[in-house]
Amino acid sequence: MSMRNLPWIIKYRPKHIDEVVNQEEAKQKLIAWLKSWETGKPQKKAVLLHGPAGCGKTSLVEAIAKTYGYEIFEMNASDSRRKEDIERLAKTASQTSALRGKKKIILLDEVDGLDPRADMGGVEALVEVIKNTRNPIIMTANNPYREHLKPLRDLAEVIAMNRLKETDVVKVLQKICSAEKIECEQEALREIAKRSEGDLRSAINDLQAAVIDGRVTLQSVKAVSTYRDRVYAPWEALRKLFSAQYVFQAKDAVTSTDLDPEEMKTWINEHIPTWYDNPEEVWRAYEALSRADVYFGRIVKTQNWDLLSYALDMMGPGVAFARKQYKGKFVAFKMPERIRILSETKKSREYREALAEYFASRLLTSKATVKAEFIPYLRVIFTNNPKYAAAIAREYKLPEELITWLAGPRAKEVLSYLKKPVK
Amino acid sequence: MSELLWAEKYRPKTLDEVINQKEIVERLKKFVAERNIPHMLFAGPPGTGKTTVAHALAHDLYGENYRQYMLELNASDERKIEVIRTKVKEFARSKVVGEVGFKIVLLDEADNMTSDAQQALRRLMELYSANTRFILTANYPSKIIEPIQSRCAVFRFTALKKEDVVPRLQYICQNENLKCRERALEVIYELSEGDMRRAINILQSAAALGEVTEEVVYKVVGLAHPREIREMIQLALAGNFLEARKKLRDLMITYGLSGLDVIKQVHREIFSSDLKIPEDLRVMIADYAGEIQFRLVEGADDEIQLNAFLARLALLGRKFKV
Repeated sequence: MSMRNLPWIIKYRPKHIDEVVNQEEAKQKLIAWLKSWETGKPQKKAVLLHGPAGCGKTSLVEAIAKTYGYEIFEMNASDSRRKEDIERLAKTASQTSALRGKKKIILLDEVDGLDPRADMGGVEALVEVIKNTRNPIIMTANNPYREHLKPLRDLAEVIAMNRLKETDVVKVLQKICSAEKIECEQEALREIAKRSEGDLRSAINDLQAAVIDGRVTLQSVKAVSTYRDRVYAPWEALRKLFSAQYVFQAKDAVTSTDLDPEEMKTWINEHIPTWYDNPEEVWRAYEALSRADVYFGRIVKTQNWDLLSYALDMMGPGVAFARKQYKGKFVAFKMPERIRILSETKKSREYREALAEYFASRLLTSKATVKAEFIPYLRVIFTNNPKYAAAIAREYKLPEELITWLAGPRAKEVLSYLKKPVK
Repeated sequence: MSELLWAEKYRPKTLDEVINQKEIVERLKKFVAERNIPHMLFAGPPGTGKTTVAHALAHDLYGENYRQYMLELNASDERKIEVIRTKVKEFARSKVVGEVGFKIVLLDEADNMTSDAQQALRRLMELYSANTRFILTANYPSKIIEPIQSRCAVFRFTALKKEDVVPRLQYICQNENLKCRERALEVIYELSEGDMRRAINILQSAAALGEVTEEVVYKVVGLAHPREIREMIQLALAGNFLEARKKLRDLMITYGLSGLDVIKQVHREIFSSDLKIPEDLRVMIADYAGEIQFRLVEGADDEIQLNAFLARLALLGRKFKV
């Protein structure tokens, strides 16, 4: 992937500590703590760096490492349930850096992702690692105050990062705009900043998504839908998913959002044809999603949650590797239309169900038969002959809303016949 | 003015009024005379009078208020055997009054029950056989487990013949003071495939549109059974996946179709001669449609499954250069 196609969140990561905006306090504390390692004895061997999504936790750590010549040994904490990972981590942590080698920082991302039940041993194992480490350990978390993280809080120096201010976000966006030679409306940038709620990552992504013909306008910003209060915005997760190079990245992508699997399914379902254009890829992706969906169905039916992993395999890697050939590209993932449609079909089905309920007993048949064999003809009558429809409605004492649904555009006529007094 | 649906209005109330299934009706009349019936299984295609005959039988046995002696259950609506068990238990517990020494449990569309549920049903039939009789109806007797079949007198209902349907429609036309062309009634018969319920529904809708002519009949059937399914298939085969998906969504909203409804109609469509595609392609599509239907039954999501199907069509359409 050339520099040109790099997602901007990667391209414009701060390369020096001075580029990190609006986090003075966190910066000072972190630098002081790191210095205490260099002079010998740190008070605490680990730091728990926390703050809202996209406030720049990982970026800060990376910037500090670059500035002070550290190498980052990174591990996603939610992987640490695997025994061999923990062992590898413990080994790395316990070794002092080689004389000529670079100094190491161990970065444990997203420790609040540790599942309190599934990873029973996870927190304890990390506690052991911290006690025995000879290298600085930095943990990040959105929410460090979850009950099961207490042992980590006790051991680590807890450093808070701020939610970014709108003006800070706008400044960063402006810098990117001029670096990219993009014409940006000031109010467009403010809109992005406002929507980002201090989440710089999503703001930068919004900016990149909103570029049309080298310009960013208020209109183009509003067209890019955004979801907040997520670990990753849905479309961000989709981008991660579709451009995954490895299976683990694809799997991460579908689990690293706050969307539940149902919602994630809906987003993927909507955007398979947004991303893929070759019919074979489209089908392979849908086939994988369809298989995932079957696993979800079985999980619901049997409550066998062991199957979840297979479902996620198909939904993530299955969809990502439906590709015949990797193509880096940038597309806008909009809010699934289906969310609107679902509520409409739901209503439509509720009406049909209610009608079936109404007629089934009178017609001595099942609701299913009413739906299949009677409702289609009732619709024909109601949309073509309002007077006759009114007579049927009167006989069966149909409520107004069901009449309205059956008659569609001619509902008013049917209802007015119905209101005329019976001779 | 109020108006009944003709399917209700012209439903035979007594066994004497039933015009077809003559042999079956004769035997049932004997049961009525003897004041005793066995457990029974009425099997046959839709719209051939299974439920109607069961009600007529009960009417003849118990008189006008027969419905208080009959528990009507529908296996399609009450899929949980627990619900059926509870209702049957309660119903069987109450004393039988009157000269007939038993009550009737009518379990419609019993072939929609899983075989496990049918096993449970079999035990129910044994448990309460002292004061209840079961009448089961089914489209496909082969989907009823053997132990139940062997406990029942099996009656096979056959699709109605033209000689039965057309005169009945004529009778309705006279009674309703309608102008009906004979040819139009024949077309109704052909389109309804021996299903009396459907024939009557078509007739009533056509009458609501005006004079019952061939043209109107075709129009009604076209309106009631949407062509959009075929258009959706054609769009997908032409490689226009996004438009096909849009059509699918429209269909599900406008007609409130479920995923199963759609895939079943698709299955019918792909073998229709109006859809001009190679024969071997029909077979390949049918195969995948079956797989998708299976997945839907497994509890999967309607739209995702059908999207997979449409995507497959788009791919096949390209391979076969449709």
